[in-house]
Amino acid sequence: MTRMSATRGLCMRTMMELDQSCSVLREYGSEQSLLSKPDGSSTFVQGDTSILAGVYGPAEVKVSKEIYDRATVEVLIQPKMGLPGVRERAREQCVRETCEAALLLTLHPRSSVTVVLQVIHDDGSLLSCCLNAACMALMDAGLPMSHLFCGVTCAISKEGQIIIDPTARQEKECRALLTFAIDSAECNVLISSTTGSFSVQELQQCIAISQKASEQIFQFYRDSVKRRYSKIQ
Amino acid sequence: MDTIHACFKEKIGEVLLPGDVFSFRLPESGDGSIKSEKIICGPGLRRNGEEVRVCKSGILRHKQPNMYWIDSQQRRYVPAKGESVIGIVTTKSGDVFKVDVGGSEQASLSYLAFEGATKRNRPNVQVGDLVYGQFTIANKDMEPELVCIDSCGRANGMGVFGADGLLFKVSLGLVRRLLAPQSEIIKDLEKIFPFELVVGMNGRVWVKAKTVQQTLIVTNLLETSENMTSQQRQTLFKRVAEGSL
Amino acid sequence: MGVVLNYGINSYISIVVLYFQSHRNTYADVVITKHIITAGKEQAAPQSAGWETALAPLTGAEDARVTSLRHCSLHAALPNIMAAGFKTAEPLEYHRSFLKENCRPDGRELGEFRPTTLNISSISTADGSALVKIGNTTVICGIKAELTMPPSDAPNKGYIVPNVDLPPLCSSRFRPGPPGEQAQSASQFIADVIESSDLINLEELCIEKSKLCWVLYCDIMCLDYDGNLLDACIIALLAALRNAQLPEATINKETDLAEVDIQKKRHLKINRHPVGSSFAVFDDSIIIVDPTAEEESLSTALLTVVTDEEDRLCAVHKPGGTSLSGEKLQHCINRAITRNKEISKLVDKVFESMKTAK
Repeated sequence: MTRMSATRGLCMRTMMELDQSCSVLREYGSEQSLLSKPDGSSTFVQGDTSILAGVYGPAEVKVSKEIYDRATVEVLIQPKMGLPGVRERAREQCVRETCEAALLLTLHPRSSVTVVLQVIHDDGSLLSCCLNAACMALMDAGLPMSHLFCGVTCAISKEGQIIIDPTARQEKECRALLTFAIDSAECNVLISSTTGSFSVQELQQCIAISQKASEQIFQFYRDSVKRRYSKIQ
Repeated sequence: MDTIHACFKEKIGEVLLPGDVFSFRLPESGDGSIKSEKIICGPGLRRNGEEVRVCKSGILRHKQPNMYWIDSQQRRYVPAKGESVIGIVTTKSGDVFKVDVGGSEQASLSYLAFEGATKRNRPNVQVGDLVYGQFTIANKDMEPELVCIDSCGRANGMGVFGADGLLFKVSLGLVRRLLAPQSEIIKDLEKIFPFELVVGMNGRVWVKAKTVQQTLIVTNLLETSENMTSQQRQTLFKRVAEGSL
Repeated sequence: MGVVLNYGINSYISIVVLYFQSHRNTYADVVITKHIITAGKEQAAPQSAGWETALAPLTGAEDARVTSLRHCSLHAALPNIMAAGFKTAEPLEYHRSFLKENCRPDGRELGEFRPTTLNISSISTADGSALVKIGNTTVICGIKAELTMPPSDAPNKGYIVPNVDLPPLCSSRFRPGPPGEQAQSASQFIADVIESSDLINLEELCIEKSKLCWVLYCDIMCLDYDGNLLDACIIALLAALRNAQLPEATINKETDLAEVDIQKKRHLKINRHPVGSSFAVFDDSIIIVDPTAEEESLSTALLTVVTDEEDRLCAVHKPGGTSLSGEKLQHCINRAITRNKEISKLVDKVFESMKTAK
């Protein structure tokens, strides 16, 4: 498995002078087409958090779930231990709605697209890692998409410092945790899922930082796919 | 001639991702005449008003004079009209066979769509048989329909086949390479030993050689040649040819 | 009103808009007939021409005016039937035509909430309860307090367990059986809001460290689903918690059992008052507040912003859909802050009236 480390030393200064925060993404890596049965598969690793994604589609759909003019998207998140619970359902809803906005579903009516995400290891930023893995798997499956998306998590510590891509320990100690999904076409916010309380300025700062970080992640997608196709040439 | 083709030309052979956009600004020509350019966008490119968007990840390819498409690797087949595929008969209901072609829906095949079939003279097709047919109707809104005759009413190689032999699945990219007019893989394979080969555009390949061992060797060679460069493939085939003789 | 009667399908829509807007003025017949009566005047000429050709193409202009006067009572009902047909066949176009005029099918402005009513102490068997109606959406919340042992990783804290239930009663889209995805994700959202906003000090729920604590089961049930579920759930939860009264509980030192004194009851101390506002995005650009169930199903994205009384954000929940730019998000947050003040006033008023009633 080939790894690609994030460009280190990319220190981003925030807009306000009050909070001097150094936000660096953890080392990330990904691989596509590693499973033989699903139509598309990928794995995405951010630091120690690792997610494996598989996509089946466009496939047959049950008559009770079929929609006459678009494809039905289903997302299943399997936690590392135990059965999926209420928390996984909330995450599944976020990932599903993002995929529905990015895919061109009207091209495959009365069919289903199933995305299965398996948590291999959870060390913080779980939802954003799920989003990144899902995007790479959808690209690998060759489903038509109108734009790409990526996930970025920000944590606001008790002192007001903004940390990007927090580890599990940083998440526990922080005052607020914000996860955003950013699209590649206009760098706008697709999903926002927050816990903890924060001010409006802190929200705007986090969005700006996430948009900057998303550019890095999209560049990484591009390099990843280039590497994969270079073998075929 | 220049603006649109120039936009595309600089990206030919490059890997593009969904969301990449080709937008055209028509130059203001002094004499007020507007030259109309026509380009054909193939799979992976969609027109969105004034711009062309990439909707699948892959390499941009070009064919003279004005055809552009994205060459992407995919495993799932989406039925398209005119393509020849290998299907497996799943049910016989009345006058129609239901055939599994690997898409999101099963295709229907009428019993009259075989050479020499009439209402009295029904074709000998059982559940589980392999059929090689062409799509007459295949769009996203309707159930796909297969036929095993061409427009003149002759079989032309289509119909039921496959007594003995082995059916296996490969990716769509490999199938396209096998069906290309001067396919290197086929040429290299022919040198090893003789065999029968049926290639369906839905990623299914059927192989039959003289012995079971030879059949399995061909199957393995085809499956592995997907991820190899041509150098590696030729060395591998040479080794196998020497080993089998 | 300022709606111009155009030709073709738009003419029916314009009539419908007139009809609904005029309903609010309760001078429906007068308003519609006014346009007929002024058919002879110069400025109304184009309108009347359209009206006449639409209804009486064969007769001459003079007779058309007379016949149109006679037909006006019949045709006051006709737009209603035509509008219902259009709404079923092309719901998105139907809504778009209203949004173009900056209003909505039920007559509200884009930034207007539906009338909100609140009723507390409706369930006598629960320790606290509240019933909230936002337009047609009805949500009831009941709080039951039970005694249990504190969690091992936080021995000085109690529990709050919210549960949102969407029974088949409230809408045909919910089937009987285990809770579906919407109910589960709403439960998770409410749990996150309780934690993020520090609604109640969980240490207050602890009676004796590592031995006894209260667990508050908050059951939120939707009785009628017409959009904007999350806002109603938050208001109901907040009002029910304010209304809840817990009896005194102590541990008998000799028997080591819990003893509850039902006579002495005290209210819970609420630290913050979070209030939510939901928005729906249409066609990537138009934002409407407090969507009904139809508007939710036609929208391209949904957003819920929860603020507390200090204008801090407790949750910005946008579970997907099309993207939203920064200024639109800021606009929504400002609207949410004003809504917070409105709802706080409402809740305070209800509690004041309860006190004076006693």
